[in-house]
Amino acid sequence: MKKSIITALFAIAAMVSVCAQNAKFPDNINIKTLDGQTVTTSVIQNDGRPIIISFWATWCKPCNLELNTMKDVYPEWQEETGVKIVAISIDDARSTNRVKPHAEGKKWPYEIYLDPNQDLKRAMNVGDIPHTFIINGKGEIVYQHTSYVEGDEEDLIEKVRELLQD
Amino acid sequence: MRKALPILLILSAIGLSASAQGIAGGHVTGAFQTDIQMSHADSVIGAQDVEERLLINTRADILYQNGNFRAGLRFEAYQNPLLGFEPKNLYKGQGIAHYFMNYSTQRFSITAGHFYEQFGSGMILRAYEDRYLGLDNALLGATITYRPVNGVTLKAVAGKQRYYWDYGAGLVRGLDAEVNLNSVVKPLAESPLHLTIGAGYVSKYEEDETIYQPSNPEYKLNLPLNVGAGAARLDLSYGGFSLQTEYARKGQDPSADNDYIYRHGEALTLSAGYAQSGFSAQVQAKRVDNMSFRSVRSQSGQMLYINYIPAINRQHAYTFLSMYPYATQTTGEMGLQADIIYSIDAGTPLGGHYGTDINLNCAVITGLDTTQVGERGTEGYTSPFFGTGDLYYGDLSLEVAKKLSPKLKLTATVAYQVFNPIVEGHGGDLHHNAIAIADLTWKVNKRNRLRFEAEWLGSDSRYTAASADRRAGDWVMGLVEWNIGRHWFISASDQYAYNDGVGNYYNLAAGYSQGATRLTLGYGKQREGLLCIGGVCRQVPATNGLTFSLTTSF
Repeated sequence: MKKSIITALFAIAAMVSVCAQNAKFPDNINIKTLDGQTVTTSVIQNDGRPIIISFWATWCKPCNLELNTMKDVYPEWQEETGVKIVAISIDDARSTNRVKPHAEGKKWPYEIYLDPNQDLKRAMNVGDIPHTFIINGKGEIVYQHTSYVEGDEEDLIEKVRELLQD
Repeated sequence: MRKALPILLILSAIGLSASAQGIAGGHVTGAFQTDIQMSHADSVIGAQDVEERLLINTRADILYQNGNFRAGLRFEAYQNPLLGFEPKNLYKGQGIAHYFMNYSTQRFSITAGHFYEQFGSGMILRAYEDRYLGLDNALLGATITYRPVNGVTLKAVAGKQRYYWDYGAGLVRGLDAEVNLNSVVKPLAESPLHLTIGAGYVSKYEEDETIYQPSNPEYKLNLPLNVGAGAARLDLSYGGFSLQTEYARKGQDPSADNDYIYRHGEALTLSAGYAQSGFSAQVQAKRVDNMSFRSVRSQSGQMLYINYIPAINRQHAYTFLSMYPYATQTTGEMGLQADIIYSIDAGTPLGGHYGTDINLNCAVITGLDTTQVGERGTEGYTSPFFGTGDLYYGDLSLEVAKKLSPKLKLTATVAYQVFNPIVEGHGGDLHHNAIAIADLTWKVNKRNRLRFEAEWLGSDSRYTAASADRRAGDWVMGLVEWNIGRHWFISASDQYAYNDGVGNYYNLAAGYSQGATRLTLGYGKQREGLLCIGGVCRQVPATNGLTFSLTTSF
């Protein structure tokens, strides 16, 4: 038993070293639109420009702070870099119906999807939220960050700018 | 052998990827978390000594993805489980608790192994996991999701539920269909009316067992071996208006939860709202009657639930607002909630220079109006649809968030709560609590932020040795949190019962975070109480000492 675990871990380590390039953002996970329609994550697109993906929930204070703060700078970011922000709510049945009113009430200009069964959350190894990713124009995950304090959004846009320079 | 299976699975996945796309294809990602606790006795807060000195919960997720193929496993170790993971002997252990293989295209997804799934809002089926509640009712079996055309989603599941390091004896089978009419019905394609309907059915099978009627000990109950539950749902929106409703009904399901009565179960939820940019209002209503649905009829506690009935009240984040958390009463409850969010524009008299955000929320939850008609083995009780019973919980809160200057932001909350201890399974008077909270963030400079939180809770309850409710009495709390630079934070907080209560809960914490890695170290006293997520609660004992936590994703 122990030997087989060690063997598997070595095999995985070998693979990690072989494929050092970035993991792809999955395009085949079922999520829901705010209108209740089931779609796959292939709908998350930005014409070859970077995407910021933020996992949040209505009850999560730092998530709300992050999305509120980015709201103010988002128009400038879009103009400068063409970046798109996609907010993935992991609210469960207790509060999925509150997501749309919550986002509207707070005037969030983002593309928002629901992940009530947390399939995307698991596929991206998200534990605690907020957990934010940057996806480059090729659909690769190039940066991730957990937790939020004011100022962290400046790191995000810095990374996006770096991507555009490459 | 069973434990070696996931290893073989992963190795075969690697082999598969090597033959199909070369060894360089595919990616391995994962996550790791470890929580360590050292606690010693404190008679005032009720903390017990830990004979192991050190308690550790660890988990590691490994996920392999190659094109449409995905495989994963999760290692869990509770050596020994953290305080509150009870019963300790069932949690204790280590090994591969979760493994699966999945193949997904845009239309089709099949999973063999462990999986999580939810039909509609989960009232008849929800397999999910919450690491902080120590709860995992993953199904081990197979599931298929198929979208034959855009707008139609069909799901089938079959499996057994995880039960700590084992599986429940009952079999769970289910089917679900969901149709987005705008995608399927041509004339609706461009309609501003969005309509999605769905329906599901879940059946569980469990072997017979011997249960007697207490007053006639020679009468053995004739237990149903198969129990079915069905649900239908509707999701409608038109411009800013939206309406969601779901009705679920369950057949005769005598169980330990309902003391083996043969009454059917039913649940109805209704949510109506209006939202426009800067304003939203929403009302939710719910009635739940005998809807505890588990794969093993004799099970109590929090394991082996097939379905999920969420609590209807708002999930609060501040300490005193969530001191008396509400746990869903799956056997019977009625609830109403209303929520208003309003962002007042900057430059208006109420909005001030930077604008103001207001959130008003209220919730009332009661029991059912039941009339006993018989004992175990009968219908049990009757209850009129609109009849309400005892008040279980009431909550009214107003939150105002306002930027005072470019550097200062204040969030102020006032609330009033009524709590009936019967929802925690014991009698006693209602607790009436008034709460006020001020939360001030000061952006000192670009990379330094200070946050101050002051909370007050005034209660009509008082601590007595007999009730041993350490939440009772009047409390104050203060918290200071300093975010230093990009990566560090330190915080200090104290909760103190200044009247009619006992306890002084101080806490010091420091943390470091970089990318997706986070380390925290804490020292202090943690209150005993209910840890609740989504209306599901777990009793956590008081702790006094050191905690350490590390999480990372890669």
